[in-house]
Amino acid sequence: MDRRTAIFNLLGRKEEKAYARPSAPLSGLAPYSGPWDFQQAAHLLRRCMFSPTYSQVKWAVEQGLGATLNKLFENQPLPAPPLNSKFGGDPNVPVGSTWVNAPNPTGYGNILGYRGTSLKAWTIGLLWNEGISIRERLTLFWRNHFPVSGVEDAKYLYRNVNLLRRYAFGNFRELVKEMTIDPAMLIYLNGNINLAQAPNENYARELLELFTIGKKPQVAPGDYVNYTEQDVREIARALTGWRDYGYGYNNIYTNGQIGAEFRAQHHDTGAKALSSRFNNAVINNEGPQEYLRVVDIVFQQPEVARFICRKLYMWFVYYEIDDETEANVIEPMAQILLDNDFEIAPALRALLSSEHFMDPEYYGVMIKNPADFLMSILKPLEIEYSQPLSQQYDSWYGLYGFMLPMQMAFYDLPEVAGWRAYYREPLYYRHWISATTLPARTFLARNLSNNGIPPFASNGMNMRADALKLIETIDNPSNPDSVVEEFTRILLPKPLADGQYATLKNILLAGLPDFEWTVEYQTYAQNPANSGLAASIESRLRGLLSAILSMPEFHLM
Amino acid sequence: MKRRDFIKTAGATAGAPFILNGVGLSAVGQPWFLNFINPDTDRVLVLIRLSGGNDGLNSVIPLDQYDNLYNARPNIIIPQNNIINVTNTVGFHPEMAGLKGIFDDGKLGIVQSVGYPNQNRSHFKSMQIWYTGLPEQSEQNTGLTGWLGRHLDTQFPGFPDGYPNSQYPAPFAISMGDFVSETCQGQIANYSIALNDPFALGDLAEWGGSDFPGTIYGEELAFLRSQITSSNVYYDQIEAAASSGATVAQYPDTEMGRQLKNVALMISGGLQTRIYTVNISGFDTHALQAQIGSPTTGVHAELLNTVSEALAAFQQDLTQLGLEERVIGMTFSEFGRQIRSNASYGTDHGTAAPLFLFGGCVNPGILGDNPEIPQNVAPQEGVPMQYDFRDVYGSLLIDWFGAQESTIRQILHDDFQYLPIVNRCGSITGATEPTPAQDVESSCYPNPFREETAIKFTSGNEWVRLSILNVFGHEIEVLTNQKLSEGEHRIRFDARNLPAGNYYYRLILEGRQKTKLMVKIR
Repeated sequence: MDRRTAIFNLLGRKEEKAYARPSAPLSGLAPYSGPWDFQQAAHLLRRCMFSPTYSQVKWAVEQGLGATLNKLFENQPLPAPPLNSKFGGDPNVPVGSTWVNAPNPTGYGNILGYRGTSLKAWTIGLLWNEGISIRERLTLFWRNHFPVSGVEDAKYLYRNVNLLRRYAFGNFRELVKEMTIDPAMLIYLNGNINLAQAPNENYARELLELFTIGKKPQVAPGDYVNYTEQDVREIARALTGWRDYGYGYNNIYTNGQIGAEFRAQHHDTGAKALSSRFNNAVINNEGPQEYLRVVDIVFQQPEVARFICRKLYMWFVYYEIDDETEANVIEPMAQILLDNDFEIAPALRALLSSEHFMDPEYYGVMIKNPADFLMSILKPLEIEYSQPLSQQYDSWYGLYGFMLPMQMAFYDLPEVAGWRAYYREPLYYRHWISATTLPARTFLARNLSNNGIPPFASNGMNMRADALKLIETIDNPSNPDSVVEEFTRILLPKPLADGQYATLKNILLAGLPDFEWTVEYQTYAQNPANSGLAASIESRLRGLLSAILSMPEFHLM
Repeated sequence: MKRRDFIKTAGATAGAPFILNGVGLSAVGQPWFLNFINPDTDRVLVLIRLSGGNDGLNSVIPLDQYDNLYNARPNIIIPQNNIINVTNTVGFHPEMAGLKGIFDDGKLGIVQSVGYPNQNRSHFKSMQIWYTGLPEQSEQNTGLTGWLGRHLDTQFPGFPDGYPNSQYPAPFAISMGDFVSETCQGQIANYSIALNDPFALGDLAEWGGSDFPGTIYGEELAFLRSQITSSNVYYDQIEAAASSGATVAQYPDTEMGRQLKNVALMISGGLQTRIYTVNISGFDTHALQAQIGSPTTGVHAELLNTVSEALAAFQQDLTQLGLEERVIGMTFSEFGRQIRSNASYGTDHGTAAPLFLFGGCVNPGILGDNPEIPQNVAPQEGVPMQYDFRDVYGSLLIDWFGAQESTIRQILHDDFQYLPIVNRCGSITGATEPTPAQDVESSCYPNPFREETAIKFTSGNEWVRLSILNVFGHEIEVLTNQKLSEGEHRIRFDARNLPAGNYYYRLILEGRQKTKLMVKIR
């Protein structure tokens, strides 16, 4: 009897029921003072990182909520830059060095190609090695907020993504200022062809609609409550004259430099008159300083704070914001943001330590995005990558490739509004789940929990669950009930029904009585060097892991 | 205005511009055109995306423009004696022998110079426009839908709720590769499933367990469980079809060849899926599109060979399997390339380009004129559009999937013009062939001109739109947009405020469109 039939027989499959729409809890932003145990700590770390390990959750339980948040928001230096892991033909960048400041020469093969690969591989490495920190999750938040697609030069993307990382929980307003003249953004939203003689409104429109204040239903022609078409036009004029330099192979003309430059002859020097939505502010010519004024004027509107707080809420808590949540959570959170001059950390920290965030109603309600899903296998299962540089990058890049059929490409977002999961009703997070993505997710889960992914294995860089390492970290490993309980506790967001525990235990024990596991495990623990014993334990544990990872609950966090 | 707002208010809009009624739409009156997809009609559309912007001028070569074309792109032009002659005035790139074979069999249609008004030369934006079919909304950011997705939304409201079901057990669309096609994005969900191998879809474990009623967690869990169940239904359908399907043709050993072979297997195995999408990238040929000193070889030659050989095998397969009247294929690309080549033996982002349709039911031959290549091609000048891509989409939806013209006006554009790109094969009534589009009598005098010129044409008692395009494909002026009486008309174009250079007038009469070159001199 196969496993699926066994599960059917044991539990019987229930038809989907139409549920009454549950309403959000009324809890607000008041500090959480309830119990602090594995469930709470795991909830916090799952939402703030790309999946914690079992030991990391244990650590957080011991430290307490406050200390865990301190750790999550700890300032760190920027990560070491991506390296040339194996491309032999780059005259400026030997293998083992970084290319981020090196020129892009022509005539040496696919320089841009290998660097792009290196950047993508490095990105996976950063998620994997993030430690207890909220920075990478916020970097991806900003990547979704300021998506740049169609930019192929990895030096541009590196600079762009490091800008996001520098400001991960820093000052939102200052981030927007730098983003406005970021070279990759100048390309993506046509800032580089926004000229006094021929204004291009692309960036100005997104700046208002998607990046800062948001659009409301039109109330009069061209008036979206928070801004008007006039504001789009005038702000576009104020931003004229900037362009990027050093893109792609043009890099040879700038000595390898990339950046943004202001050309006064293409800047509109006239006065720009904003609408009453911005209190009829007038922007006079300030040349290369003018974009700073634009951002300052936009940020005088308190709606900017509410707008970004809603997006943060959807990224960290849940996709639906009803009137109570708006009043009890978004409004006070926005006030904290305003009180702190748009510093993200205090407002976000208040959210994450609130009664609302810690309400069990929100545990496990977020569908993992592909990065979450991948890391929620790699990290708790104690999987390791090959260490030599070229294999390390190859395996990271291989995993990047496995994100694509799950419909997530870090450096190519589908729309300027970001991934649909974070803005598009009515599906929201459910966009990640489809007949397309489920086989891709299942493929990763099945192989990483068992024998590894075939193409990697054949290249000598196999990655697979280290079940023996994982079991060493749990209490009472010789008790099969503990094994099932602890494994599901780290891998699944909520406790299971009793029948499901029994099914999983049956998979671990293959129908044998409990004491058989106890004896076998204890024998192994006394003779860990005995490869036969180890292999037997390991294979049982892999079967259990594989079953847990195949459950629909595993897609939730 | 957003398209969906527009749909709500359509009809209430006073003075809606340029509404053409009953344009060439003898087709619409035919009894077999129902207002829904008949599940028994089994018609399939295969969309081939040439990603990156295909160089139309080196694919479908205007032989009567060769000298001017040579002057504009001497380093990459195909030598005359290497060109495959298709007609007296049109030739193919030498690597397109496979497509020439389909043409000779009367199963290839070419639509010349397809584009959209105000060409956007960014890959990202322009591909988004081709996906959505909504060029006027290139600034829209949220709630984007694909042209096929909107069509399917009119047929299957509420999708994906309630699908698959016993009437529709198969996915509506399949995208070969890793990503679902944005053309199939509906208002709520994407209609397509992306897959690489129909035999390797696996089997998702279906678990029971607590329902957690009345909680958000319970809702999300129920969604996951139902998705898993319905995915398994789809996979069973796909695998069963692919296993019982057959192919007889010899497919080239390329990714595209393998993908089309799998598509043929699924179709011949009886899968109900209506739409398949296939993607081939690499057409962004800025450099070394042609080898230095050997213009018939290089990146572009390899790409055209890959496409041409794979399509030839696919079409041959469909013919031998007796499926050719059930399947139509169409290529598309985000833009053509500029007329002038660059110094790197490549071409940069341009404007309009030809697209190909193939299958036993396409109207064979060439629709439209060769692009006119000016004597002095401006820097960055592209090929101006003759046909609007929305008219290609809409005509396909009407003739192939039985959409109503009124629906097309809502989901694509109000100025829809029917194009005879599909013929009447397999029709229940055996209706006659549609009349081929009549040519448009028009001229411009003087040409070249200094300050102004006049465009002369003959119309019936019909709506006429006459506009001016610049070398970037932007519509800079609309000279007339109104109903005119029958007879000869002469419309003045005052260009005193415009710089010297190449301009084009685009004339649209009911069911006919024409794009012609005018040159302003100092």
